[in-house]
This record gives sequence, C-alpha cells and structure tokens, in this order.
Amino acid sequence: MTRWGMVIDTDRCTGCGACVVACHAENNIQTVGEEEAKNGRAMHWLRIERHYEGEFPDIQVRFLPVLCQQCGSAPCEPVCPVYATYRTPEGLNAMVYSRCIGTRYCANNCPYTVRFFNWHAGEWPEPLDRQLNPDVSVRPAGVMEKCTFCVQRIQEGQDRAKDESRQVTDGDIKTACSQSCPARAITFGDLENSESRVAQMAKSARASHLLEDLGTDPSVIYLQGGEEH
Amino acid sequence: MQRNEKTWLHAVFESPIDAQGALQKLTEYGFDSNDIEVRSSIPLEGLYPPDLHVRSHVPLMAVLGGIVGGICAFMLTSLTSQAYPMETGGMPIVPLPTTGVITFEGIAIGAILTTVATVLYECGLPFFRMKSGPLDHYLAEGQIIIAAFMRADEYSDWTSKAVATKRQGPHQAEHTP
Amino acid sequence: MTPGSMSREVPLFRPLTSWRPKLILGSLLAGAVAALLFYSWGYQIRNDIGVTGLNRPVFWGFYITNFVFWIGISHAGTLISAILRVTSAEWRRPVTRCAEAITVFALSIGGLFPLIHLGRPWLFWFMIPLPNYRGLWPNFRSPLVWDMMAIGTYLTGSILYLLLPMLPDLAILRDRHIADNPNSARARIYRFLALGWRGTAQQWHSLESGIRALAVIIIPVAVSVHTIVSWDFSMTRQPMWHSTIFGPYFVVGAIYSGIAVLMVAMYLLRRGMGLESYLNDKIFNNLGLLFLTFTLIWSYFTFAEHLTVWYGNEPSEMAVFTERISGQYAWIFWAMILLNVALPMLVLSFPLGRKPFFTAIVGVGVLIGMWIERFLIVVGTLSLPRLDFTVGTYQPSWTELGILVGSFGLFVLLYLIFIQIAPIVSIWEVREGEHHLGQVRPASEHPTVETT
Repeated sequence: MTRWGMVIDTDRCTGCGACVVACHAENNIQTVGEEEAKNGRAMHWLRIERHYEGEFPDIQVRFLPVLCQQCGSAPCEPVCPVYATYRTPEGLNAMVYSRCIGTRYCANNCPYTVRFFNWHAGEWPEPLDRQLNPDVSVRPAGVMEKCTFCVQRIQEGQDRAKDESRQVTDGDIKTACSQSCPARAITFGDLENSESRVAQMAKSARASHLLEDLGTDPSVIYLQGGEEH
Repeated sequence: MQRNEKTWLHAVFESPIDAQGALQKLTEYGFDSNDIEVRSSIPLEGLYPPDLHVRSHVPLMAVLGGIVGGICAFMLTSLTSQAYPMETGGMPIVPLPTTGVITFEGIAIGAILTTVATVLYECGLPFFRMKSGPLDHYLAEGQIIIAAFMRADEYSDWTSKAVATKRQGPHQAEHTP
Repeated sequence: MTPGSMSREVPLFRPLTSWRPKLILGSLLAGAVAALLFYSWGYQIRNDIGVTGLNRPVFWGFYITNFVFWIGISHAGTLISAILRVTSAEWRRPVTRCAEAITVFALSIGGLFPLIHLGRPWLFWFMIPLPNYRGLWPNFRSPLVWDMMAIGTYLTGSILYLLLPMLPDLAILRDRHIADNPNSARARIYRFLALGWRGTAQQWHSLESGIRALAVIIIPVAVSVHTIVSWDFSMTRQPMWHSTIFGPYFVVGAIYSGIAVLMVAMYLLRRGMGLESYLNDKIFNNLGLLFLTFTLIWSYFTFAEHLTVWYGNEPSEMAVFTERISGQYAWIFWAMILLNVALPMLVLSFPLGRKPFFTAIVGVGVLIGMWIERFLIVVGTLSLPRLDFTVGTYQPSWTELGILVGSFGLFVLLYLIFIQIAPIVSIWEVREGEHHLGQVRPASEHPTVETT
C-alpha cells in the first residue's frame, strides 16, 4: 500500500520562499490582497515559519516550512458534518471542495493551523486567469482548502506509469514545493516503499514530527538538529 | 317540543360538589356513561360516571415509541456509515459512543411524537366538526357542564328528579359529542 | 371560580379579545429590529461570508457565540415547566407558559445561527440524512450532526410541550369568542386552533398523562442538547476547549441564562400587562433563590475549569488562560465575573434583592455576562492556536453586530405575536391550582339548566 509522505530538512531550508510561490502557482491559490492579509486571511498552503534561537549576537534563525501534515489520525476529519474531508487509501487527507458547506469545524480542530478558508472567491482579472493550472479546480467562496500533496501531480504520475505499463518509481512524482526548492530541502515520495528516499530519510536520527505528542501520526517528517547552520 | 325527539339537556354547575351530586342522581336514574357527558375547564378528579373507564395508554406508548425511535436512529447511523464507508481520523466506521448519542436523540423524538399522537388519538382530536353548545361560555368562566342525553319519555321524570330547579326555554338542536 | 378570580383574569384576556395599540406598536418596532437580522444576513449571502470579521485562525466568532447563547436561553422553559412540574411545585403554574414560549422562540433563533455561519448556506441540506443519488449521508461522527439531531428533537419537543397544554386555554378562548361574536375572525381561528377540545374527563386524563410524559422526556433532552452543543468545543483538541467539564458546565450555564431571561420577561410582562397578581413577589422570590443557586453552581464550575488549567500549566493552555485573565480579553473576563458572580450574589442574597425589579436588573447583567462567557470560550481559544506563529485577533463587522441585535428584535417580535394569540399565563393550570387550594364555591341552590 502506498503512503505518500514528505521529508523536510530544516537544516537545509534557507527560507527563500520559492516553495510558497510554486505552491500558489500550481494550485490556483488566490492572493487575497493587502487588506485581507492584514486581517489574517492570507492563503499560503505552505508557509515558512521563522523561529529565532539564542540571544544576540549568537542568534540563529530556523525556517520551518509548515503544510498540511496529511495526518494518519487527522483530527480534522471526524468533525466535518458532510464528509468533505476524509482519508484516502493512499494516505492523503482529501479535501472535497464540492461537498464543503463551510462550517469551518475542520479548521478549528487542526492543531497545525494549516487549513484555509475562501472568505471571498479568488479573482484573476485578465490576463492573470491564463496562469491558472487547468488540472486544479478554482474554489468558490465559502469552501475550505489546504495542501493536497499536489494530488493532481500524483494522479498524473500514476496515470503516466499506467500508460507506460510500469510502476511508479521514486522521484517520478514531485510536488510543486519539492520541485522548486533550490536547497533540495523538500523530498516527496512513498513512505511505504522501503527503497524510496523519503523512507530512508525518515529513519534518520534527526527525524521528528511536528507536535508529536498529539498523536496525529503526520506524513511529514522534519529533519533538524544537525550542526549549526 | 315533540315528545319523541332525542335531546340533550345541558346543566351548568359552579361547584364540583354540585356536579358530583347531579352525577349521582343521574346514575341512580339509570343514565350510563354513553348518555352523560361531563365537561370542565380544569381537570377534576373522579368527576365522571362510574361506569366510564377513563384510562390512558400514554406511558406504554411513550416507551414503545422510544424503542422504535431508538432502533430507527441506530439503524440510520450504522447502516448509512457502512453504505459508503469513509475513514476519518482513525475512528471506526461505526463508533459506538457517537452512535449512542444519535440513538439517544432517536429514543427521545420517538417517545415525544408517540406521546403526542397517543394523546390526540385518545382525546379524539382534531375534531373540527365539534359544535359549541349553548352554555359553553360558562365553561370558559370555569364552571362545569353536565350534558345528559334524554330519551323523550324520560323527559318529564328527569326534570323533577334532577338537581336542576330552574329551567330556561328549551331549544331544538341535534347534538352528538 | 370565585368572583374575585374572574376579575383577576381580565388582564389575561385583554390582548386576546381586542387589538392593543401598544402591543401592535411594539411588534412593529421589534419587527424593524428583526429586519436588520435578515438584511445583514442577505447582504452576507450576496457578498460572501468574507464580509464578517472572521479570519484565520479565528474561524468562529459572533455567530457561534450567538448560537450557544440562544440555545442556552432556551433552557428556561424546560427548567420551570418540566422540572417544577415533575416535582409538583405549585408555584410554577403562572410561569409555565411564558417560560415555554421563551424556549420555543430562543431555540428557533438559535437554530438559525448554524445556517448563518455557513460558508455556503444554500447547501445546508447536505447535513440532513436524506436518501440521495450520490449515496452520501452526513457524518454521524461529527458533533455538528449531533447538534442537528439534538436541536431538532428539542425544538419539536418544546413546540409540542408548549402547544399541548395550550389546548384547554384555546378552548376557553374559543368558547368566549363564540359567545361574544360567533362569526368573528377570532372565533373562527380559535375554533380551529382548539381542535375541538371539549374538556371531558377522558380528554383531561389523556392530556395530563401526555403532559407528564413529555415533561419527563424533555428534561434529559434539554440536558443532552446543551451538552452536545458544548461538545462542539470539547471534542476538539484546542487549548481550553478540550475539557471534560464542558458538558455539565454548559448545561448549568444554559439554565442560568435561561432563568435570567425568564426574570426579565416576567418583569416586563408584569409591568406591561398588569399581571402582578399572577407574577407576584412570591414567585420572584422563589425564582430569585433558584437564580442564586445557579449563580453558585456556575461560579463553582468556572472556578474548577480555570483552576485546572492554571494548575496544569500546560503551555498552549496557559497562553489562552493568561490572555483571558490578564491579556487582551481581561477586561471582558472580569466584567463577566462581576456580572455573573459578584452582582447576583450581592443582590440575590437578600429578600429585598429578590424583588421583581432587582432580579430583572441582575437578569440583564447575567445575560450580558453569559454572552461574554461564550465569546471568551470561542474567540479566546481560537485566537491562540498551538503553533504560535499563526496567532490572530478578531473584530466583528457590522453584519455580525447587525445579526446579533436583529436576533433580539426577532425574539421580541415572536414573543409579542405570541402574547396576542394565546394567554401568557396558563389559565386552566392556575384555576386548577386555585381548586387544589380549596378556593371553590360551596354547593349552591340554583345551577343553570338548558335543554337542546
């Protein structure tokens, strides 16, 4: 069985934000504008958290890209009254836009605050609408959304493999963020495939989960604690 | 009035004691519960003909309704979850605690609806064709009305033996409760 | 029926026999305020839910606060009507109907808010278990679906519990109107509404059986409703929401706010309709003592909740706690303590404080305090999520304020309409109470007789 997972090496992350931009471009995420962003409505499925460690002059900055952890035991799933979010057999936390009625209960139960709500519909005035990815639906107002591990790319990779009568190999499918990271801090793959890079990196001594003690069983592994960077 | 017409005699009493006395007299003269109707604006214990069986099946029906409602609610949650099983948060498809909550509400709504239906049925309501009697406004003021169905030949007997001592002018009307 | 008690009933029948200009005017004013709710809601549907002040991480704000608030208020009727009926407390008789009416209308308004707060309210029917071609059913594991079932059951039960004991009173009105003016609209309406009630012994027996059964059933339903509403919060993992005490805490808070509304409503009815003989000082005293009891119980639960959090010293919970006690929410937290704990204890502990006017004042204070409590729970926790990079704040927008104000207008409107349709004091129950007390006429010599 496949379980899609991601390894993020925070010792490599430079905080450049290329992954954030790539995610926006790939997934038709709206830019809400300055006013709305000031009111806390910015939509960055993947955000870079900036944590300072130490005191001046020995300050270190650690960048933590946080995205939907695609939890194995997701707290957001049971609380949706209409099954707009559930766990797929391949280990993704699916988000069904057409079913969502906008109670926002899932967002309230997410401990990572990685769910985003379309307070208004996104606008892409001409010619910006030409940048929209045709593989990804544009969400209307009143609907929840979040990182999907670029499910459209997963789907496309699996379709291509089937067309070519082969299995999906490791590295075939890249999420937008893993593809665009210049420091190669983000790796995506199948955690159940013992030969995949993510499965091997997950065994590292530096590996940990975010908010481990909550028991959400996330699919995103963070590597940290290497030498000073 | 003609002697062989059937009529109802309505008598108004201000006190339940008076009404009880009148009931006793009527029963002594052979009126049974089919021919007597006692109406009041408040519930009065025991103020009805002795051969009338006043009973209510509400408690039993409420329990039965609760059981049916509970079973329906349990089936609703468990069967629909299994019809299209979706895994959410690692919980079982039919978790007993959550099913229990819905079943509880199902028991309650079943019991409530059955209770009300039983009450309406036992009261014979809705009865939109009810005709108001001539003295009903006394009922509104809190007094008690006893109506006795008289066969024509008993008419003269009754008037002398009943507690009523004052008689208004009689009207002609067909009246069935 | 003594002549004295007949004249006592005059103020009860007044709004039901003729149009009262003050009530009409009041209804129109309340209607105007209620229109604000519908206008704001319509504006919100047209212009997306983004017109509210909600954001990330404060995804719930005024609307959920109002939802819990109004559902809480609805526990007034159940407490007075059902619990006092089951315990055969005679002093409940004049109060049952005005309390049950509060329940029905508060529930109806509370039930609007889950629709109002939806991002796509026209799809609310996804939550209803209806067979559909997709084969999709609602998620019965979600507390919101439990909410729907519980509130649906409670609303149905409360409406029936209000209407069933109203039948004999509607029959009284029917008989009066038919006697006064048989062809008037009122006579026809009451003839329909009374369903043909005759007041026979069998009917009384069935009715009383039914009312008793409903009273017994509706008490656990009421407890379950507000418990389930509280489980919207405690089933999550959020700091200061994930608390096992929320079930009983919210039920106590609901009854508390319900009594507060009842006191205010009773005071206004007493003054506005001249019902001093029914809603007398003794009732206010008894309810005032009940009110004080719930002040103490609510304070106990609040203290227990906060002590546990503070003593446990868990970082994400302490963040919320500190913000509440001494941070940006401190001023409304301490206002809540003043209005819900200090003021009621100071005023209601003394017999003078349990006079109608003072209990009504305390009632208004408690209403505000209980609204604040719900707001603190909803927004206080949501603004401080576990990953503190995403901390937020919340400012309500005009639509949210409009809907809050409009909801009060709607409540008053529904109540005023109700006053003009049915007697706000249950006539037959009060008469029955007088009968039990032996205030009946002794045997007389001249009963009236008619033949038909």
